[in-house]
Amino acid sequence: MGDSTVPLGYAKSSMSEEDFRLLRDFIYENSGIYFSDAKKDLLENRLSLRLKANNLKDYQEYYYMLRYGPQQSREIKALFDSVSTNETSFFRSPPQIQALQDYALIDVVKKRLERGENILRMWSAGCSTGEEPYTMAIVVKEFLKERLSEWDVKILASDISERALSSARRAEYNAYSLRSMPDLLKYKYFDNSGNTYKVKDEIKKLVELQYLNFVDSKRVSLMQGFDIVFCRNVLIYFDDALRKRFVSQLYDSLIPGGYLFIGHSESLHNITRAFKLVHFPGALAYKKE
Amino acid sequence: MTRDEVLKHLEKIEDLPTLPEVVSRIIVLAQSPDVNIRDLSGLIHRDPPLAAKVLKVANAPYYRCFLKDIDSLDRAIILLGMEEIVNIVTSVSVMSVFVDKGRGTGFKRKQFWNHCVATGIIARSFARELSAKTAGKEFVGGLLHDIGKILLDAYFHSSFVEAYEYSIENRCPLFMAESRILGITHMEVGYLLALKWGLPQYLGDIILNHHWPDKARFKDMVAIVSIANLLAKAGKYAYGGEKSSFILSDQSGWQVLDNMGYTVGAVDMERFTMSMDNVGKEVDSYITTVSGHSNGR
Repeated sequence: MGDSTVPLGYAKSSMSEEDFRLLRDFIYENSGIYFSDAKKDLLENRLSLRLKANNLKDYQEYYYMLRYGPQQSREIKALFDSVSTNETSFFRSPPQIQALQDYALIDVVKKRLERGENILRMWSAGCSTGEEPYTMAIVVKEFLKERLSEWDVKILASDISERALSSARRAEYNAYSLRSMPDLLKYKYFDNSGNTYKVKDEIKKLVELQYLNFVDSKRVSLMQGFDIVFCRNVLIYFDDALRKRFVSQLYDSLIPGGYLFIGHSESLHNITRAFKLVHFPGALAYKKE
Repeated sequence: MTRDEVLKHLEKIEDLPTLPEVVSRIIVLAQSPDVNIRDLSGLIHRDPPLAAKVLKVANAPYYRCFLKDIDSLDRAIILLGMEEIVNIVTSVSVMSVFVDKGRGTGFKRKQFWNHCVATGIIARSFARELSAKTAGKEFVGGLLHDIGKILLDAYFHSSFVEAYEYSIENRCPLFMAESRILGITHMEVGYLLALKWGLPQYLGDIILNHHWPDKARFKDMVAIVSIANLLAKAGKYAYGGEKSSFILSDQSGWQVLDNMGYTVGAVDMERFTMSMDNVGKEVDSYITTVSGHSNGR
């Protein structure tokens, strides 16, 4: 590539504009994850490992492999693992978790009881390595306590990354990812040895993990009947069109009176007015009436 | 305790704080149609500590839109406008009367003023967001809307503490607890003081009606303060047990503004709420400027 003749600061941009556009569009079509022009370096950085793993010489070859190669579908899964972000932790954004515990959960449980039902359905949309759905399960257990056994509780957790899902299935975490969690809860719901914390079965069994690609609108439309949906820091990766379509599917996935939580710095203001904005202490959520 | 007992007691209190005479005259002057800069500046100068404070507030970061320091009252009046100076005089003087009142136990004074100042600042930003022509009065209103709580704390201390605790235990609004235990609310008590002191009518209206803006006369101003009050409570500036959850578009203040033709639906309330999370510095600096001592947190 003649890197030695290129000034240092420019050495890394071996992904041509054309390759970038091809790959960006391919990723967008297949996952909804959108890399704007400003994120070219990020994409290049993430994909460089795939090039190495497949022993390819440049990004154009990688593109052809994804599009036409014999291992296409396997490589697409690896691609999804590389481009999705897995930064998460237990009790992330504590005011939101507090709002779930102190307001939203009380409200939806009350509504269910009024209808003579003891079913609770939650969805962690974009669950990454499982910290979020297990947090939701812990909050539900803390709320229902011994009444939990009388309830049919299911927390569906979906992600596009198989690697993230298998890590969620293992349910083993380090102390760092539990840093925002009260000690008592760590003690109650994890088996600890050294720096490893394993989620106890009573929590694990409330969570059902499954692969779901949000671009696959048919399968997304099967997601129905939820009291509470968490979809935090997912929409930021989508472009406007997909954001609008997906948010309207999130709306449809909720039962009346249900709540949607998005990332603490995200807003649906320019996406939809279907929900009612709810203010909780230090947190916002959206309610379907 | 009954409502009548509270009212009688309030009548008899001899050391009920009074507003400096100069301030009352300024408020009256401000309402006359032919007020001029010299009259206003002359009046403020009759109370040198007040003049100094007004100048200090005019130079605070809150108004820092001018390159140079404002070094005289006349200049402050020219740069900020008479209306704004009257706003400053009103808020500074009422707050100065009260800032050291209140017994402290049960009634958390610092938390109280933080909430009031935050409400004022949020009200001002929200009014700007709506392009409402409330001329800075929404700030004064936000600042002073809960003034009745200080009177209740100072003169009916144990009952007020009881009401305060009741509201926390039962997760109910403080005014409901006051009504139950004292037979009267901080809104009514504050309103009586506003009448006694001859505060401008809009202030009395905000003090009395900030929980039901649909009953107010100065509807948009009261509605803006009522929403700012809720947002302050939902953010970091809750006072006491008044943390709450609410749907903004179901609030009467919101509906009042909507009915008046304000484009409330166009405001990105998510962004607005998030940005109001950072009013802390402004709150501290305002309190430090007015009270003269630092608002250690």
